[in-house]
Amino acid sequence: MGNQSGQSYGLTILSPIINNGSRAAAQDLALRHHLSKLANGEHSPFAKVPGTHFVRLVVMGDVVFVGYPARDEHLKSQYLICTADFDGELDPYLQTLARTIPAELDAIWKHCVGYPGATDPAKFAEYIKKCQVETTLYFSDVNDRTLEQTLKALLVKTAVTAFAERYQGQPASVVQPAFKKFLTELSQTPAPRPGAAGI
Amino acid sequence: MTNINGKAYAMNAITPMRAWKSPILRLIFWLAPLFGLTDLKNLSFIHFARWVIVPHDKFPWLGGKQPRESVQSDYMLFFSNFNGTWNQYIDAFSAVLSKGLNYFWCWSDKFPGSVPVTGFKKYIARVQFDTDFYYNPYPYAATNDVKAAHRVQAALDDFAAKSANMTEQQFAEAYLHFLIRVQNDLGALGPAPEGT
Repeated sequence: MGNQSGQSYGLTILSPIINNGSRAAAQDLALRHHLSKLANGEHSPFAKVPGTHFVRLVVMGDVVFVGYPARDEHLKSQYLICTADFDGELDPYLQTLARTIPAELDAIWKHCVGYPGATDPAKFAEYIKKCQVETTLYFSDVNDRTLEQTLKALLVKTAVTAFAERYQGQPASVVQPAFKKFLTELSQTPAPRPGAAGI
Repeated sequence: MTNINGKAYAMNAITPMRAWKSPILRLIFWLAPLFGLTDLKNLSFIHFARWVIVPHDKFPWLGGKQPRESVQSDYMLFFSNFNGTWNQYIDAFSAVLSKGLNYFWCWSDKFPGSVPVTGFKKYIARVQFDTDFYYNPYPYAATNDVKAAHRVQAALDDFAAKSANMTEQQFAEAYLHFLIRVQNDLGALGPAPEGT
């Protein structure tokens, strides 16, 4: 099973953050600040990347000590964790990611050790795979529908609800032609934009 | 920093375990899908979730000035995208999936068991860490909304194909059947309740 569930792929990467030894210019703090200001919703950079479901970015400062007899130990680096749930295979997705939002990727991962930049998608993909950790068990509740199909279905659900409400109690002579018009309009309506409020 | 986007909550947790236990847990994770993860699907409030075992010597090392890690414990990372509040989530897991939770987490140090829930919640709060950025492509849709939407889409496609050349009377009957089929899946999307 690993990283894949149906047509969904669960990518997990741990990117070590640069430790330049200077608290005044700490990369982890700069990264946290950048992430706190990163555009979200339909303006999120990830909304531009086709097939992207959920994405999270987490600065992990250290492991947790849960108490004796667990070991009280510490990591030597901090890590930027990125989890992404997307449609399809890893290699095509990484290529699309690098080609679609290279500047935004650079602004995030420039704080990480060995990051080559996203200008060269092949080198970007190679870097991501070096940071990738195998997902041991991946669960995707709806793993047989793409993002595009899901966004369209959510639009359809809302539209059918509105249609049923509007034409409740009307005779078939009214509903039938209205339904044909409804289907035509629905087929011409694009799927909602990812991340937009209202879906 | 926010763990919440629309109706989804991003939970992150890390738990240590002795390295010799990892192969056993990997076997359990390998077997879990064979049992269908049915309870997780039936709870129907998790979009995506993952468990990741990071061996003590497999933290990514990119070379250069980055020092190699020297931790001795393996670590299990858990990431979830769920609907509802943190308390509702933990309560549901404890009440419905306690056996499964125990199979997965009993290998982690100091895990108290998923029942009773109070100790379990204290443990989760201790091993959880916050999300710095969280993107959700359909913020107003819970998992049930997504599943309902796909059912409505399928029913509409089916009805549209069958009703294309129906008489008025045939259409009236078929339309009624269509509404009965989708009635439990209709309804508006909207923002999550305040305070969650």
